Amino acid sequence: MEGKEQKRHQNKQSGPKAQKKKRRKQGEQGVGPELDERKRNPRAFAVRSAVRMARTFHRTQDIKAKKHHIPLVDRTPLEPPPIVVVVMGPPKVGKSTLIRCLIKNYTRQKLTDICGPVTIVSGKKRRLTFIECNNDINTMIDLAKVADLVLMLIDASFGFEMETFEFLNICQVHGFPRIMGVLTHLDSFKNNKSLNKTKKRLKHRFWTEVYQGAKLFYLSGMVYGEYQTQEVRNLGRFISVMKFRPLVWQTSHPYVIADRMEDLTDPESIRLDPKCDRTVSLYGYLRGTFLKNKSQIHIPGVGDFTVEDLSFLPDPCPLPEAQKKRALNEKERLLYAPMAGVGGLVYDKDAVYIDMPGGHVKQQQEEMRPTTELVQSLMGTHTTMDAKMAASKVSLFTGTAALAPEEVQESSEKQGATERRAWDPETRRERRRAVFTEEEESEGSDEEESDEGEDEEVGKEERKAAKEAAPPLKRQKLGEIGGGGQEVVEMPAFADSGDELEKSEGESEEEEMDEDEEREDDDDEEQGMEEENNRKGSTMPPDSGHCSEEDTDDEDEEEEEEEEEGDSEMDEQSNAALPGEDTVKTKLTCAEEEEEEDEDEELGSDTAGALRWKESLGQKAADAFLRRQRAAPNLRKLVYGTVTQEEGGDEEEEEELGGLFRVSRPEKSQRVRADAADLSRFQPDASHDWDQEEMLASIRDCFVTGKWEGDQDAATLLKEDDELYGDFEDLETGEVHRAKPSQGEQAEGEDDDAENEEEEAPLVKMDDEEAQKNKRLEKKRRLKERFNAQYDDGDATYFDDLKEEMQKQAELNRAEFEGMDDEVRVQYEGFRPGMYVRLEIHALPCEFVTNFDPHYPIILGGLGASEGNIGYLQMRLKKHRWYHRILKTRDPLVLSLGWRRFQTIPLYHIEDHNGRHRLLKYTPEHMHCGASIWGPITPQGTGFLAVQSVAGAQANFRIAATGVVLDLDKSVTVVKKLKLIGYPYKIFKNTCFIQGMFNTVLEVAKFEGASIRTVSGIKGQVKKALRAPPGAFRATFEDRLLRSDIVFLRSWYPVSVPQLYHPVTSLLMPSGQKDTWAGMRTVGQLKHDLGIRNKPNQDSLYKPVLRQKRHFNPLHIPKKLQKALPFKSKPKLRAGRGPTPRDLRRPAVIREPHERKVAALLSALSTVYAQKNKKAQEEQHAKHRAFLKQKEKQEAERQKRQKEEMKKVYRAMGQKEKKRLKSSLKGKSNDD
Amino acid sequence: MASLTYEGCNFFRQRLVLSTLSGKRIKIRNIRSRDDNPGLRDFEASFIRLLDKVTNGTRIEINQTGTVLFYQPGLLYGGAVEHECCVQRSVGYYLEALIMLAPFMKNSLRAVLKGVTNDPTDPSADFLKATAVPLMKKFGIDGEGLEIKVVRRGMAPGGGGEVHFSCPVRRTIRPVQLTDPGKIKRIRGTAYSVRVSPQMANRIVDSARSVLNKFIPDIYIYTDHMKGTSSGKSPGFGLTLVAETLNGTFLSVELASTPQGQGAPMLPEELGRSCAKLLLEEIYRGGCVDSTNQSLALLYMTLGQQDVSKTLLGPLSPYTIEFLRHIRDFFQIMFKIEPQKPDEDEQKGGEKVLMTCVGVGFANINKTIK
Repeated sequence: MEGKEQKRHQNKQSGPKAQKKKRRKQGEQGVGPELDERKRNPRAFAVRSAVRMARTFHRTQDIKAKKHHIPLVDRTPLEPPPIVVVVMGPPKVGKSTLIRCLIKNYTRQKLTDICGPVTIVSGKKRRLTFIECNNDINTMIDLAKVADLVLMLIDASFGFEMETFEFLNICQVHGFPRIMGVLTHLDSFKNNKSLNKTKKRLKHRFWTEVYQGAKLFYLSGMVYGEYQTQEVRNLGRFISVMKFRPLVWQTSHPYVIADRMEDLTDPESIRLDPKCDRTVSLYGYLRGTFLKNKSQIHIPGVGDFTVEDLSFLPDPCPLPEAQKKRALNEKERLLYAPMAGVGGLVYDKDAVYIDMPGGHVKQQQEEMRPTTELVQSLMGTHTTMDAKMAASKVSLFTGTAALAPEEVQESSEKQGATERRAWDPETRRERRRAVFTEEEESEGSDEEESDEGEDEEVGKEERKAAKEAAPPLKRQKLGEIGGGGQEVVEMPAFADSGDELEKSEGESEEEEMDEDEEREDDDDEEQGMEEENNRKGSTMPPDSGHCSEEDTDDEDEEEEEEEEEGDSEMDEQSNAALPGEDTVKTKLTCAEEEEEEDEDEELGSDTAGALRWKESLGQKAADAFLRRQRAAPNLRKLVYGTVTQEEGGDEEEEEELGGLFRVSRPEKSQRVRADAADLSRFQPDASHDWDQEEMLASIRDCFVTGKWEGDQDAATLLKEDDELYGDFEDLETGEVHRAKPSQGEQAEGEDDDAENEEEEAPLVKMDDEEAQKNKRLEKKRRLKERFNAQYDDGDATYFDDLKEEMQKQAELNRAEFEGMDDEVRVQYEGFRPGMYVRLEIHALPCEFVTNFDPHYPIILGGLGASEGNIGYLQMRLKKHRWYHRILKTRDPLVLSLGWRRFQTIPLYHIEDHNGRHRLLKYTPEHMHCGASIWGPITPQGTGFLAVQSVAGAQANFRIAATGVVLDLDKSVTVVKKLKLIGYPYKIFKNTCFIQGMFNTVLEVAKFEGASIRTVSGIKGQVKKALRAPPGAFRATFEDRLLRSDIVFLRSWYPVSVPQLYHPVTSLLMPSGQKDTWAGMRTVGQLKHDLGIRNKPNQDSLYKPVLRQKRHFNPLHIPKKLQKALPFKSKPKLRAGRGPTPRDLRRPAVIREPHERKVAALLSALSTVYAQKNKKAQEEQHAKHRAFLKQKEKQEAERQKRQKEEMKKVYRAMGQKEKKRLKSSLKGKSNDD
Repeated sequence: MASLTYEGCNFFRQRLVLSTLSGKRIKIRNIRSRDDNPGLRDFEASFIRLLDKVTNGTRIEINQTGTVLFYQPGLLYGGAVEHECCVQRSVGYYLEALIMLAPFMKNSLRAVLKGVTNDPTDPSADFLKATAVPLMKKFGIDGEGLEIKVVRRGMAPGGGGEVHFSCPVRRTIRPVQLTDPGKIKRIRGTAYSVRVSPQMANRIVDSARSVLNKFIPDIYIYTDHMKGTSSGKSPGFGLTLVAETLNGTFLSVELASTPQGQGAPMLPEELGRSCAKLLLEEIYRGGCVDSTNQSLALLYMTLGQQDVSKTLLGPLSPYTIEFLRHIRDFFQIMFKIEPQKPDEDEQKGGEKVLMTCVGVGFANINKTIK
């Protein structure tokens, strides 16, 4: 590093030197530079081997094909939902600080408490939702499923922690979102070298986990408790330009990360029973794919629910409108985090929420002050008004209850009442109801968020909104209390105003009253509001869709629809108690025939102008009738107009006589239809008489023989072709065909003129020219198209075609519903991703609300068709190699599969070579095995992971196993080996009677023909049951059995999968204990906890083996054989010699005392001598060793000398060689 | 999970089929509760049995009188199935439902249905072969496995016919854009007769041609006279006519003779003429899908990927209208229904309806991935 790097040599690009060089180069090649290698050296590229060439060709094709992905239809929404950025890391690593810094970087606002998801607008086309992930494994699992980008914080001073690896593994299983590492605590390194080393080490470890070259950010140090601005800015820039790939699960399922939760339960029912089930509305951006109303969702940590009501709200954090400037201005840098208390004024479906304590953003607080005061001052009188309203009954028209005096009073002072109602002490939020048009909303929210200057205006608007809010609010109350048992019937809302009107017509009279009052005293803003109220009114009339029902009753004669409709209406008119309302209906039916927009307008003006519609009822009815005569019925209404079941019931009640008898009338349409024959055939229309000539003519053009459209007509096409492919000569006949002179450009005009003259009356000169021009252009276009088609056809592959098809489909998807109003559009498509939606969910457990902790994410995951069901799943599973134990069959395991986390009991099995699934007691160590569980039906190919327990933190790696769903099958196929043992009790030649294997004759009969075996390996077969001992049977074997043999029959016994499905309800735990959910314990844990120890089976214990000594009888050889044997083998029959006789024994020698002394001396002398010898020998050895050592040394020295000498010699030789070489080169160049 | 509740026995098949496909359990109450003979009929019971055969893990509960049915669907299993259909309804009754379910099974279905192949009420096997099979091909359900074959013909009261139906399985269904039916290029047909004089078929052909010849010369009607064991148990005859357009739309009608001993017998000439007129009526209705198979097309559109599908239909039949409502109940899918008025100068039959929907993104979860 020391010293400056020297300037490198630069070759001359121009000048005489460069030219010279160039010339030389050309000369060297001997050819011009334009000739390529192939031409210059054809032999090098000649085909040597056809096989090899084929191989290379295949290889290139393979490589090319590998680059292709299956083309998919692009379904990304035009305005995508905010990107979910999950910030994850071990505790105290700086997650909150990082989020805070990033938010500050994007929005210039400081958010002190990161609580729940925080949504911000980060750029012109991008919004981000930050979520902090704590170290509860439940949270990690949930967030890994919804994350688009994970910022993985790593404490560099400590290194990787288990959580990081666990999270990475979770991500791998549930589709891999983008992961970006962020190293923090880098300032704790004092030594620069160790810092660099650590960085490198961590980076490479990170790369092995994610992918080579994954981005790892370094946040070097803190300045005033924040990360350095420049580093945060860089990180922010990376986030805002990041691209994401679609993940299978996320793109095929809708999901919402709730950023707001409101408890809608009636406070009275909570008071009566604090543990009653709650109705809750959850808010958030819809992601993934289309979500439909009434669909099933799963909330991880809570359970499965149905979406009772789904509606979209104005975007609280909208992207800026299209603009040309590069950066966002302050107004557009929005921040939305209701759980953290930011968001200020929040508009709901039927209410406005204002964040009272505020304190986060100064301006918002100021702006809210006046309303707050008002609300607080009015809080005291809450109950009295409530009681009043409960008692009130209002009706508008004749034939209904009269208007009570209190109501008049009430309506005059209703403004105060609404304000009072609005205060919700529990959530410490002001709840007010405001009604507004959508444009107002968005404006309002925009201003609310950012504009300081318009404070007062906003305040005014709010107050106004509050005024307007009064009637609908009260109405709701009335509906709830007064109308008590009124059922809410599903009622799809149409923008088609027919329905709206119907609804309003069907609504209880009080509502009508309210509305009317409203109209009288209010300004013109009401049009939209009224509509919206009707559309979203929480109390839906059960008898709405009246008219359409009648229609459907008579729909068998669809063609006669119009008259029918009229009839039904007439009926109704006669029946109905309220003529006024009926007239509304009449208008309705006329309205339905018109275009939607028209209707809207008409309706709007009608409802707005206080009861103006009454004026020209007769006229309108007449008009309607006329139009009905002309136009076809509104088909959609006919099809989707609601058919309420309650209607039938009402009829029955009416028909009862004196509570005893029921009038049996010829059953009415509804019932008849319900029990009619199930026929798919469409009966022909009787009115068509196919003998008549007009009828026949009416389908004349359906045949190829009929008239064709202009662009398909053969005659026209032929003419065009003539024009295109001018003159030609028929070679056979020699006839020359001339193109019309129109071929030439100058002649074209004339020709067209002529045509024009033929076809139509003379035109104005101007038009004529225009037409000509158009015609020319058209022709050119067609020519070009034809050329393109021909030209492109050549290299269009299957892949290209497919891609084009997908592209077309994507365009169609976008275009089909583009211009449509969202209200209508959501009914066709469902709610599309990117919308801010409100989901109402009923019957949530009360713990969800009482133990609500915004730090834990609430995810609403949509379920596909039949994913809500529970069944048997077969999956492939592998124990994680970092998990320190093997898993036992029938031990409960917590699985994370799809959206869910649940505890279940798996059975592990392995597939034998013949396709049999054999039960395993434990998972194999380093191998996949099968697992069967009872759990939620999930599409095949979905990954899952398993943990043994989600409670608490453990030192060890927690993920026990991972795998994938293979199959869904309701029939279980796991089997277990079963050996039946029997004993032979009678043995014939190859036949035995065997007992002890079965108990009855029937059992034997079932196993007739089964193969059996003895322990010693003799195979056999079950033949037939015996009568005598029950269960005994006759069997044949390939050899004779012994009485001591044991016979066994190997069979397979199906094992049933235990039906345990236990969703992990971690969100319902009290806050602070959410990570302590403990489900079913394993048998081992139970025994450990309860201190139970199994008594071992005595037979299984190891005992010392006692072997009895075996006695063998003496060998007996027959006399005859003995005689015949050779002597060597003959038994030697001579008896053994007895003890030696005395005379043969030798006497013992006893020494004399002197002799003894001599012997002792001699032995002592010999000992001394031996010792001496030994010593001498040792000495000799030592001497020799020393000598050898010396010798070795000398040898080594000699070697060294020799080596050096040789080195010298070689060097000399080398130099000489080099010189020679150099000189030879020189010589060569000289030759040149 | 709450179950959907319906009343009455009408649209019985639709409900069970949609329940099976969506996985939602249903309860049907008041099945002929006011009838003299309350409860499920034999043919409905037979249909339930057939569903039980092709599924795995289905739970069916019927009360004592048969007026209440609870159905919890299992997984569609498929495979080789043989079913003795009740003779009260023809095989078409069962086949229509099977066609709806077949592409979404675990194993490809090979069904053998025995019973009445042709009767005046239900679409016959010939009819479905002529219309439903090409329609399925448009949705990407094709291949050599797809076939409907009439092995034996059995006329109405007695039955004794046999139909083989096989269908491959698909993981996903393709979205379609069937907006232009095209012009009719040819008319084909089959005149069949069993246990009557073979001359009957020829008489039918002549009379039918006399009506249709005014429009198009390319008419060919096959005569199909079955004898011996393949002729079933009852006498009868009938005609199936198919009009094929340039764009591959098949419009078909059929007419069968009145079953023996049920009402006035029909002359073959009369039958041929009225059947031809029925075809004209069908052509008048028009659309890319014939009136009987409207619900099948709509079902496949619903079960497609999350893409826009469009189909031009003739006027919606009451059956289809109810089917649309059921689709909304089970899949929360609504169709955009746009009536298309015929032009003044064009002579292309009556009013058409353009049906547009976005599929639910249905994937066949039964199919095993290897």
